[in-house]
Amino acid sequence: MVHLIANLLQQALGAVGLSGFAFIINPIVSAVVMFGGISVFVMFLVWMERKVSAHMQSRIGPNRVGVFGLLQTVADALKLTTKEDIKPVHRDKIPYYIAPIIAFVATFAGMIVIPFDKGVSVQNLNIGILYVISITSFTVIAILSAGWSSNNKFALLGGFRSAAQIVSYEVPLVMSLVPVIMTAGTLNLNNVVEYQQKAGYWFVVPQFIAFLIFITSATAEANRAPFDIPEAESELIGGFHTEYSGVKFAMFFLGEYIAIIVSSAVAVTVFLGGWLPLPFLGSLPIPGFAWFVAKLLFVIYLIMAFRWTFPRLRVDQLMDFGWKVLIPISILNILITGFCILFFGKGV
Amino acid sequence: MTDLLLSQIKLGAESQFGTDEYVVNLGPQHPATHGVLRLIVKLDGETVKETTPVLGYLHRSIEKICENRTYPQCITYTDRVDYVSAMSVNLAFALATERLMGLEAPPRAQWLRMIMVELQRLASHLLWMGAFAGDIGALTPFLYGLRERERIIDLFEMTCGQRLTYNYIRIGGVMIDVLPEFVPKCRAFLDYFEPKIAEYEELLTYNPIFLERTKGVGIISPEVGINAGVCGPSLRGSGVPCDVRKQQPYLYYDQVKFNECLETAGDCWSRYRVRMREIRESVSILRQCLDRLEPGPFETKLPPVLKAPPASEIYSRIESSRGEMGVYLVGDGTIKPWKCKFRCASFNNTYVLDQLTRGWKIADIMAVLGSLDMIVPEVDR
Amino acid sequence: MTNEEMKTKIESDFKDWILSAAVSPQKEVIITAKPATYLSLCRDLRDKNEYSFQHLSCLTAVDYPKENKMTVVCHLWSYKKCAQLTLKVDVDRANPRIPTVENVWKSANWFEREVFDLYGIIFEGHSDLRRIMMPEDYTKFPLRKDFTDDGFIVKPN
Repeated sequence: MVHLIANLLQQALGAVGLSGFAFIINPIVSAVVMFGGISVFVMFLVWMERKVSAHMQSRIGPNRVGVFGLLQTVADALKLTTKEDIKPVHRDKIPYYIAPIIAFVATFAGMIVIPFDKGVSVQNLNIGILYVISITSFTVIAILSAGWSSNNKFALLGGFRSAAQIVSYEVPLVMSLVPVIMTAGTLNLNNVVEYQQKAGYWFVVPQFIAFLIFITSATAEANRAPFDIPEAESELIGGFHTEYSGVKFAMFFLGEYIAIIVSSAVAVTVFLGGWLPLPFLGSLPIPGFAWFVAKLLFVIYLIMAFRWTFPRLRVDQLMDFGWKVLIPISILNILITGFCILFFGKGV
Repeated sequence: MTDLLLSQIKLGAESQFGTDEYVVNLGPQHPATHGVLRLIVKLDGETVKETTPVLGYLHRSIEKICENRTYPQCITYTDRVDYVSAMSVNLAFALATERLMGLEAPPRAQWLRMIMVELQRLASHLLWMGAFAGDIGALTPFLYGLRERERIIDLFEMTCGQRLTYNYIRIGGVMIDVLPEFVPKCRAFLDYFEPKIAEYEELLTYNPIFLERTKGVGIISPEVGINAGVCGPSLRGSGVPCDVRKQQPYLYYDQVKFNECLETAGDCWSRYRVRMREIRESVSILRQCLDRLEPGPFETKLPPVLKAPPASEIYSRIESSRGEMGVYLVGDGTIKPWKCKFRCASFNNTYVLDQLTRGWKIADIMAVLGSLDMIVPEVDR
Repeated sequence: MTNEEMKTKIESDFKDWILSAAVSPQKEVIITAKPATYLSLCRDLRDKNEYSFQHLSCLTAVDYPKENKMTVVCHLWSYKKCAQLTLKVDVDRANPRIPTVENVWKSANWFEREVFDLYGIIFEGHSDLRRIMMPEDYTKFPLRKDFTDDGFIVKPN
């Protein structure tokens, strides 16, 4: 459908004699569609998080605005956008304004390479995995500059914690993906899914440990509980976004949820067979996109369930867990996978 | 005098290496301080060098007010001393006054008081459990705790019409007899509640992250604890038998069977365990009280004007939800107390915070503060 | 050990250090210490095995303007003996000074700060004597009986 719109627009441009600019149409249309789609999806996720948490806490959750409270998030978003933008007087202006934008853009850009269906992704990069990991780690800059520029002690502590945390958990995150890359022999997310199709199994089966490490590190990367120390409410009030309100806060919020979507989407693509149907259900007339979204929601549900079950780790325990547990295990995992490839010619 | 005060205020100690200390003001408005407690925390990175509690943001001069009210009028103010556990303070004041004047409440009133105070202990411990878990990042137990607390509050509301400040336990008895359906409802609640305790324990007690956060954190050794005046469940977590209900029985606590819950480690987890076990003990005490509740008058006939004997004084202690609750009354032969002092558990428990948190991380302040179960209105009064 | 026994024992053990010992009608043992030996009395009451009053349950003061004195009242509790003791010491109202018992019971630190804050009794040797409840620049001592303030009205009896 994206292509259809893009084609129509290109023809329209050609008709008014501007066919030279046709090359910009595709990215713009993709961006608009992605942005709209993702924003709606995030709103749905916020609603889902509320409902999930309500269910876990024996509450009802939002049920007043719209059917089942579905429009609650829309109302909240409207409220956030119309709110007064309160700024600290002694802020460091440029980083203060740039931070929410980076937080949003960096995570949002990660969505580009995610294949939603066979061959359907905004840009089919052949270094897709590398790209996602590197672009999403830009959020650390956003959080650090937000923490620094707010001129608030809690925000600064939050920013520092976040920097340490994201740098530490980046390592196991990448390392958990390495065995898959070694087995599939590609960095292209599309090809990873196609490899799983050909091989007849999803990587979650042979690489279950890697999957667990990935989910854990991804939760930490997205600053979600139990790894939410950068914004630990009971210690640091709001952490790095203490001093943000209104639209800027909304952008951080949006960024956080998009980070969850991106991480979950990578997990789905790499470990859960992306758009592939569940085993024995391949004959059902369900499009690949629906399979993808269903798996995505499952992974996101997992991450949400973590948040509402566990207490929060302390900052040093978090580092210990990353460096002393996750990284050794993932290195071991890489080694074992390497040996398997060496001796059996393919991954476990 | 003011000069003396100002000279006594300590300024930040100069650091040797010329680096600034990172001084963070936790509170008085902060999500984790359970009210308006202010902590000035000196940090070295994430490590706490010194914690200085600053009190007084909730000081309502209740003791001064009580000196200018008659004894029955004071009861209303005792509700506000610890509004999370108002029944206990009601009881502490009522008992102190009765001992001062040589009154005795009838048996039914005593059993009713025990029922109410134990129910209040359940409610308070449930709220504490939720807040403690919330302090270290688990938000779900809070809702679980409040779910059951709500039912207890409903029982209170059924009895005295109030949900927070009950003003139920009066001098010489209780405000009003319970409704006939109170006892079956209370029993039904206990039957419903007992399996729920397992649910909380499942969620928290052996959760690896919870253990990681609470085991070995904020250790109070028995000697330090006694010397610093720590009391109640917080001290029992260090293995010191200090339950006033056992040591200096009041009401009919010597007639019911219950265990004093002791743990030995003295860390946050032990204090958590003590309180969770106390919840079970309270349920058992409640069942015994309900069994022994017999019809009869619910208050004694009081003299028309309550006057304390001249130059009399009493220091009466009870075990409130947070620990030892003492009321010191000095009577001067008039209808008003000459001196009224509330000795509150939270006040002393907050005092050890500095010793417990030095060298730990900033997140541990919250864990320790939560595990001590301090309530700011009780600290400030 | 009953109250009477404790009273006689304290009377014989510390006869030079105390002014009086009595069992009140409310069945509490109340002893009044001499200010000069107050500190050593506290230390002995804590350390001597037959007393071991290790727990300072409460420390407060009472104002007696008519007798021109203020009384510092310590309520001690012995976990070992399950015994309660009220220890009093009088201070002059015009120049209220008394040694601190902070080094005997740590918990006295805040108790004494509170008494200083509300009564203005100066505890000599206290490590951190400053206001605890009232604002730091406050000049009055609210729990003294002659306290007056704009917003404070005493109802007539």
